[in-house]
Amino acid sequence: MELFTHRETDPAAVSGRPGLPLSGRRVVIQPNMSRRGWPCNAGSRALENYTALEDAAIIPRLEKSGAHLAGNSRMSELGFGLSADTTVQALIEKEADIALMTDTMGEARVAAARAGIFGFKPSWGIVSRFGLIGLVPSMECYGVAAADPADISGVMQAISGKDDRDFSMPDGELPDFSQEGKTKTGSRRAGIVKEMLSLLTDKDRGLFRENLKMLGSAGVEVVEVTFPEFELLQTAHQVIAAAEASSSAGKYDGVRYGYRAPGAKNWNDMYLDSRGAAFGTLVKAFLFQGAYFQFENYAAFENACRVRRRLVRSMENLLSELDLLVSPTCRMVRKDAAPSDVRGAYEEFILTLPANLTGQPALQVPGDPAGDCVGLHLTAKRLDDSRLLALGRRLAASRGAK
Amino acid sequence: MKYEAVIGLEIHVQLNAATKLFCDCPNRPGDEPNRNTCPVCLWFPGAFPRLSREALEKAVLACLALNCTIQPVSAFDQKVYYYPDLPKGFQLSQHHKPLARNGWIDIAGENGEPRRLRIHHIHLEEDVAKLVHETEGRTPISLVDFNRAGTPLIEIVSEPDMRSPHEAMEYVKTLRGQLRYTGSAECSMEKGTMRVDANISLRQEGSSGFNTKVEVKNMNSIRNVGDAIAYEIRRQTECLEKGEPIVLHTRLWDPDKRATAPMRGKFSGPCIPDPSVASIVINEEWLNEIRGMLPEMPDRKAARFSGDYGLTPDEAAAMSLERDISDFFEAAAKSGAAPRKAANWIAVHLAPALRDRGAALAETPLSAERFAALLSLLEKEIINPQSAKEVLLQLLATDESPEKIVEKGGYGQVSDAVELDALIDRVIGEHPADVADYRKGNAKVLGFLMGIAMKASKGKANPKLLREILAKRLG
Repeated sequence: MELFTHRETDPAAVSGRPGLPLSGRRVVIQPNMSRRGWPCNAGSRALENYTALEDAAIIPRLEKSGAHLAGNSRMSELGFGLSADTTVQALIEKEADIALMTDTMGEARVAAARAGIFGFKPSWGIVSRFGLIGLVPSMECYGVAAADPADISGVMQAISGKDDRDFSMPDGELPDFSQEGKTKTGSRRAGIVKEMLSLLTDKDRGLFRENLKMLGSAGVEVVEVTFPEFELLQTAHQVIAAAEASSSAGKYDGVRYGYRAPGAKNWNDMYLDSRGAAFGTLVKAFLFQGAYFQFENYAAFENACRVRRRLVRSMENLLSELDLLVSPTCRMVRKDAAPSDVRGAYEEFILTLPANLTGQPALQVPGDPAGDCVGLHLTAKRLDDSRLLALGRRLAASRGAK
Repeated sequence: MKYEAVIGLEIHVQLNAATKLFCDCPNRPGDEPNRNTCPVCLWFPGAFPRLSREALEKAVLACLALNCTIQPVSAFDQKVYYYPDLPKGFQLSQHHKPLARNGWIDIAGENGEPRRLRIHHIHLEEDVAKLVHETEGRTPISLVDFNRAGTPLIEIVSEPDMRSPHEAMEYVKTLRGQLRYTGSAECSMEKGTMRVDANISLRQEGSSGFNTKVEVKNMNSIRNVGDAIAYEIRRQTECLEKGEPIVLHTRLWDPDKRATAPMRGKFSGPCIPDPSVASIVINEEWLNEIRGMLPEMPDRKAARFSGDYGLTPDEAAAMSLERDISDFFEAAAKSGAAPRKAANWIAVHLAPALRDRGAALAETPLSAERFAALLSLLEKEIINPQSAKEVLLQLLATDESPEKIVEKGGYGQVSDAVELDALIDRVIGEHPADVADYRKGNAKVLGFLMGIAMKASKGKANPKLLREILAKRLG
């Protein structure tokens, strides 16, 4: 399978600008991140032959920092899950240094864990989503994967910050990544959610305990905490994300762009035929679920929204007593889910999706030894992104020193 | 059994903001099809809606003019349904948290009694695209014009307080007057910038419950609103008398048949909070700024006109109904025109002339100063009323002074007794039979001879003097 669906060939663009924080760094992006003139089908037939009209907000910011945009990877349909995604593979094959990945359930972090590199999901709302072809607006964000956490900081410094084209960004001060290299991580306390442990096999737990030693040697104290509604995180995520996805995908009707099925007798048939042929099995199943909650069981959707608000509070309360939550990033054993099994698709992200639902920054740290792929997943307070990355650098440095 | 109608209105008003609600495209739906579009209003992937400050200001101004309480926090929902006029599978509207609540409009009821009609809420929403169905040719096709997609609307939802077609029409008229005053909307039912849907149900007179309602759409004038409601009341009364149940549905008013007919079943989808459009948070300071932009409203102005200028209540109401006319009246009065005379001339001569031309006052060269100068020529008997009317029409077309027009057109009033004497001589000479008739006691003939004489003077004779001389000569 080809790594790239589009590659930058303009020699001027390939070299990037010298003397800047990201000079010489090659960034691979997914084809749902609008780069003017590049194909931008978001991995879906619904956007067949679609070319981006404008640059996403992050594009000029990356260029101003000296980064070189290497090209578009291959991605899962509309960024939901990781099937067929080649973004991190481009780093493994040394075709790029930094990967930008849509992170809706934890895609960037899980892909990084499997590859044994760093993966980061910022606090929700600190990077403008203008130009990101998304699916779940209240949860998705640009995730960043790289072998060197300094690269993640460099990208975050470039792309985060206010943008008056994205009104959904929060008011108030956003994290400052510019001083992150000098940030003191301070003494920290990390909590392990007891309820989370029951999701792990003995093998997972063993690898996790090994990885926890990294934290100990970095001076982070680890304690056990309880989050009684832990299992609701996934349910709330799934109900709300499906409903939002159903709305977001409503625009793919074949009227203005993208795939239009030929030969329909009227507009209704045109819709049904076009949408029927445009979406893959998993996304279609996800959209059906969303439409179910919108049209048939709105009460369940409202409940999920209420539960979400409660979970946000619980998460914030928990993190107000601690500095971090810690878990593996993913589990060793993965069941092969049927292509239409949405819940099965969720299983892979069960440890990473809480941060998407409740909006915190989270960092995947490669395990030690790096061969293990459960990783270490650190979730920090909202907008505490910079300190989280500083800790990541410290962990990377201590590992390098060994 | 005697029935009472329960009527509520849902009125969509297009705000006249310069741009669409969530993008910078011009708010001009009538332009060449699909000219005013961009990635946001065509809902291209990756585009982001951005609320227009001007649209919000105009909406708030409109809500204040209708005595509503602006909500500190309002938010947009997705009204989900699939139709080709909707580029994204949902319409952005405010369902759960509207911009404003609890307003009212005061009208005069059927018998002149004051009636306060309540407004439940007002919300902001985007308009949808326009579909053009081409049914001729081998394959019928539907064309979509996205110029209107995303243009800013407010929807004003009344309480079911109206009891008659008259009250509904008065409600719409007053509401239109209030909104036009704020300058935030044109409110033309004919042009479609105001669309009125009526919900009508019947109940036994004296009861207070609500029965199944029927929605009526597609009225393109205020008179049609009244007629459609009256028709629907008759239709429902007949149903009830025949023992047929009233079924919840939507009907379309057919202005040619003057009747309503059922339309296809409307699919109503859910309303889901939109995760991408930011909530609107309005603080007191900004709200006060908007309050400061609210002009003196018609009822207040009418009261002041009665007091300051001695207008009768009817004259004051007529002079304050439209903001441009009210400003014009007041400016004319301040330029020295006798207020009641000015009001009379505006209502009787100027307003119909504007209507004939289909023009607004601002589109003509007529200024209040020149209008006052015209009335002064009339006052000083330099011209007579008939000529004054002629001159007024010319003032609507050129920017010459009334004096100049009078001079050029020879409109000066003939008050020269010798000249009029000679004219009457001629008239008497040419109509001996009528003169004899008059002298036999038929007083009516005087009027006829006056007309002949006035016509002979080309309308320029001083009518008072003419009548005096004629009466004397015939006497």
